[in-house]
This record gives sequence, C-alpha cells and structure tokens, in this order.
Amino acid sequence: MSFLLVNQLSRIFDLSEPWILRKIKGQQKKLLKAVDKVNFSIERGQTYALVGESGSGKSTIAMMVAGLIKPSSGFITIDGYNFFSPTIENNIKSSLRKSVQMIFQSPYASLNPRWRVGDVLKEPIKAFNLIESENGQKRRVCELLEQVGLSERDINKFPHEFSGGQRQRICIARSLASEPKLIICDEPTSALDVSVQAQVLNLLKDLQKQFSLTYLFISHDLAVVSTMANRIGVLKQGILVEEASPNKLFEKPEHDYTKMLLTAAPDIKNVSKIP
Amino acid sequence: MKALDNLSFNVYPGEILGLVGESGAGKSMTGLAILGLIEAPLSISRGKIIFNRQRIEQNANAVRGSKISMIFQDPLVSLNPLRTIGEQLVETIRTHIKFGRKEAIEYAKSLLEEVGIEQERFDAYPHTFSGGMRQRVVIALALAPKPSLVIADEPTTALDVSVQAQILELLKKLCRERETSIILITHDMGVIAETTDRVAVLYSGTLAEIGRTVEVLNNPQHPYTKGLIEATPRIDANSLNSKLYQIPGVMPDLKEIPVGCPFHKRCPQYIKKCVEIKPPLLNERAACWLLDTENGIL
Ligand SMILES: Nc1ncnc2c1ncn2[C@@H]1O[C@H](COP(=O)(O)OP(=O)(O)OP(=O)(O)O)[C@@H](O)[C@H]1O
Ligand SMILES: Nc1ncnc2c1ncn2[C@@H]1O[C@H](COP(=O)(O)OP(=O)(O)OP(=O)(O)O)[C@@H](O)[C@H]1O
Ligand SMILES: [Mg+2]
Ligand SMILES: [Mg+2]
Repeated sequence: MSFLLVNQLSRIFDLSEPWILRKIKGQQKKLLKAVDKVNFSIERGQTYALVGESGSGKSTIAMMVAGLIKPSSGFITIDGYNFFSPTIENNIKSSLRKSVQMIFQSPYASLNPRWRVGDVLKEPIKAFNLIESENGQKRRVCELLEQVGLSERDINKFPHEFSGGQRQRICIARSLASEPKLIICDEPTSALDVSVQAQVLNLLKDLQKQFSLTYLFISHDLAVVSTMANRIGVLKQGILVEEASPNKLFEKPEHDYTKMLLTAAPDIKNVSKIP
Repeated sequence: MKALDNLSFNVYPGEILGLVGESGAGKSMTGLAILGLIEAPLSISRGKIIFNRQRIEQNANAVRGSKISMIFQDPLVSLNPLRTIGEQLVETIRTHIKFGRKEAIEYAKSLLEEVGIEQERFDAYPHTFSGGMRQRVVIALALAPKPSLVIADEPTTALDVSVQAQILELLKKLCRERETSIILITHDMGVIAETTDRVAVLYSGTLAEIGRTVEVLNNPQHPYTKGLIEATPRIDANSLNSKLYQIPGVMPDLKEIPVGCPFHKRCPQYIKKCVEIKPPLLNERAACWLLDTENGIL
C-alpha cells in the first residue's frame, strides 16, 4: 500500500459576498475549484513533486495533506489512516500530526523573530510530549542542529542572526523534531540563491536517505524538481493534467501545458542556442 | 563600508548585458548608481559613470530621465492604482517629449501595441490587469522617453514562467528593433543563458567575471562562476541520482569582506596570493589570480 494516497481530492473556496449583499445585487454564488478531483500516491521513502504555475492549487493540496484545511470532497490516507475521517481515534490523529510536517518557502516568516533557535526547536518536542527532561530536550536540540549542518553554538541565537539558507535549515530541523515520516516541502528553496539552494536540496536528499523520509515536494521550478523527484504531477487550475516519471515527462511530455512549461522554463543548458 | 568596490564595465549599444550574482552582491546598487538614485547616507565616493561621452556620476540630471529608464521587479511600484494606464503613459510621454495631447495619445497607443497590449485597454486601471500585463505596461512606460539604456532589475522574478518567457522575449525584441541597450539584473542563471549577449558576474560588490555569455557559461574562468553554474539545477531526468555541486559557505556580509580576493574563503582553488592581494580583472575577463600565468604564480 502506498504511504500517501490522495483520492479524488477536491477543494472549493467560496468567494461570494455575504448572502444579504448577494441578494441585493442579485449575484450568484462565486465558487472557485482550487483543487479538482486530484489523484496520486507516494511510496515510502520516495519524492513526489507537484509543479504548476501560480494559483494552480499546489499549496492548497499541501495544506490538505498536512491536515490544516479540510477537503471539500475526496480523501487522503497517510500510512492507511484518514485524518479527516469522522471515526478516527484521537491517538491516531495525534500520531499523524507528529508524522507529517511541513517546510515553507519563507524561512523568515515561519520563524518567530523573538525566539532563540533553541526554543524554536524545543517547541515541537514539548508540544508532542516527546522528551520530559530539560537535559534530554537540550541534547535532542543539539542533535537536530547537527543533523542540518548547524552547530550547538547556534542554540542561543535569534533567527535574524542567520542567513536565509541557515534559517531554512532551522525550519528543517524543527520539522525533524517529531521524527516525521512525511515532510511536505512547499517551495523550500524559492527564496534562496542558487548556491544556497544547492546546499538545502542536498541536505533534504541526505535526510531522506538517513531517515527514510517521504517527501511531497512543491515547486514551480522544473529544474529543481528534476533533481528531487521520483514522480512528477503537473497541475493546471486545480486539475492534475499529467503525471509521469522525470524521464517520461522531460523526454516525452504529453499534455500541451507540460510542453509549454518545459519550453518556457529558463534553462542554463540553452546557452548554446544564442548565436 | 563599501557596497561596490572598484567596479568597471561597459555596455554597448543594442546589447543585453546581464548582471548576475547572489543576494547582496550589489546588483541593484549598481543599477541605482547608474540611474543617479543613490541617496544619503550612501554616496559614490570614487569612480566615473560615462554615458554617451558625458560624466553623470555626480548629478542626477536630465540626461538620465529621458535616456536611461528603469524597470523594477514589482510593477505596482511604478504604477499609480488610481489612474488609468493611458493617463499615466500620456503624462510620462509629455514630461519627456514635446508632444501635444493628441500626439501623445497616439504615441501611447503605439507603445501599448508594441508591448502586446490591446489599445482598447487604454482607459483601464492597473488592478484590472494580470501581473504579466502590468509588467508590460511598466515596460511601455520605461520606453516612452525613447531611452537608449533600460535597466531592468529582476523584471520577471515575481511572474510565472510562461509570462516570464513572454516578457524576456519582448525585451529581446525591443533591444533588436530599437537598438536600446538593456542591463538585465537577475540571480537566475537560466535567464542569463537564454536572454543576454554578455554577462557580468558580481561578488561582494566586485566584478568576478565578465564576457560573452556563451563563453562565460561554457568556459567559466572564475571559480565562483564555475560554482554558480555547477550549482544550478538543470532540467534533466538523470540529475535525480546525483547531488548538486555546493559552493561551501555563504557570501560574506559587507562588514566582513576579507582582505585579498573576496571569494578566497569559499574558493576550492585559492593560492597564497589570493589571501593577500585583491586580484584585478585579468585577460579582460576574470578577477582571479589563477589567470595570472605570466608572473609565474602557478
Ligand atoms: N483561503 C482561500 N480562500 C479563497 N481562495 C483561496 C484560498 N486559498 C487559496 N485560494 C485560491 O485557490 C487557488 C489555488 O491557490 P494555491 O495557493 O493552492 O496555489 P499555488 O499553486 O500554491 O500557487 P503559488 O505558486 O502562487 O503558491 C488560487 O486561485 C487561490 O487564489
Ligand atoms: N541603504 C543601504 N544602506 C546600507 N547598505 C545597503 C543599503 N542598500 C543596500 N545595502 C547593502 O549593499 C549591498 C548590495 O545590495 P544590493 O541591493 O545591491 O544587492 P543585490 O545584488 O541587488 O541583491 P538582491 O539579489 O537581494 O536584490 C548589500 O550588502 C546590502 O545590504
Ligand atoms: Mg503556493
Ligand atoms: Mg537587488
């Protein structure tokens, strides 16, 4: 069985004005199908990438997989459990919360500027009741820092004392705190320079091997995706228009939208085309 | 503190020069200096900017307003939300060119046509446009005074790839048809590869390498350029199993730029001289002591 299964997943946003205004103006309800009957699955330890342009529904899917917003219809199972099932037991729900973590695009916005790095990393350890003793917590924080290439010395620093790439490392360390099985990476390197991006992508690869992590990797950058994904799904206006292995997708794209994305993507390889 | 240090380069008529480098390298600062937009407490302490044989570094004079234009990353910075794009175009045109109202309207419409926006949209407000269309309007505004140099600072960073491709195509077309020169500022090596004729690689406010884009990307001379190129992911099904090249460390803060070559602490190939003396541009190509074969360094 696949580790993550996404089945006929849909999410509709209601963009209409309040009922009374609508009646006065004689308007219909305005509904937006942000995600429309999307199906895909990820095997344990693999990376599945969602690509597509702005507004195609990538983050909405990510939020549903993370259990942060509810699907309008369809369902998601993680390790066989459906987070939104009405019959799900509380202990399973809380273990799902631990095993699914998320990393966002803007490492600064997702870190509280007034918290020291040590406190940032202790927060999930405390929230999930993972380690009781102060000493144990501190040891775990140091271990996490080391795993992402930072050091014990960084424990008392504030986020603003770090570069963008280092901040993203802190976010990755925080996501690792609860020993997750699935990490959703929503444009994790879009705000970073290429040199720093390479460091963060390589780190994500290393951690995946080390902890058999499963990744749902979201990006609009096909070149980045090609270095990370075992399978790629192409989203257009909420619909998964094509899904394939990188080989297939880059060599023989089928959908016109995929072809367009591939032609439009700036690629450093294309330099020889210039006279 | 020096944000830019001894930076020299030329831009030739009708070419697109790319300025590339990591965040904080001084790309925007270079653009602002050329535009005369460096404000206190910052100042140009040394050096010259020569435009059409005139020195312009110390005075924000009229030459710039009409002959050098700027396009920023966020089109909303350059557009007034309360006025139609037609009004804004006509006003810009009339501050720079002695046109009557009717003439100016005609010219404004032809500019819209040139950037691929239907003339019917003349009376529309910016908020009714998509991000890509707004950036087209900004380009029309930048072109209105018939500039000979356009500085575009990350003009497509906020846009989708499909729109980005269209805007870059448009800039290339304008460059060819109007013989306008463009300085294209970006941190995207792919954009550099596909759009520019020559490229200047900036590092810590200095020029690391400059040359024809084909040559620089196919045969980089500076270890920093090499690193940037190798760290850039490529669309390639076989890249999954290999790791990206990593340049160790990060670009230093302005306060911590080391003596000698500013890159030597991250450089896999540095030699003793790199730690001591800052290399000048050698062979008119790269600021790296490794190119200094004549003096028997190697
Ligand atoms: N809470 C919300 N209320 C209303 N509409 C929403 C909400 N969240 C997302 N949307 C809409 O759903 C669509 C999909 O948005 P989503 O954020 O998933 O796109 P995305 O693919 O992540 O885009 P980007 O690349 O810009 O991050 C968009 O049209 C967006 O405006
Ligand atoms: N007003 C200012 N006062 C002091 N330092 C400044 C000021 N503006 C910029 N700097 C510094 O000058 C250096 C160059 O900045 P610049 O904005 O030119 O970088 P950039 O290459 O355009 O980077 P990015 O890719 O992030 O836009 C940076 O170290 C920056 O912190
Ligand atoms: Mg998103
Ligand atoms: Mg800048």
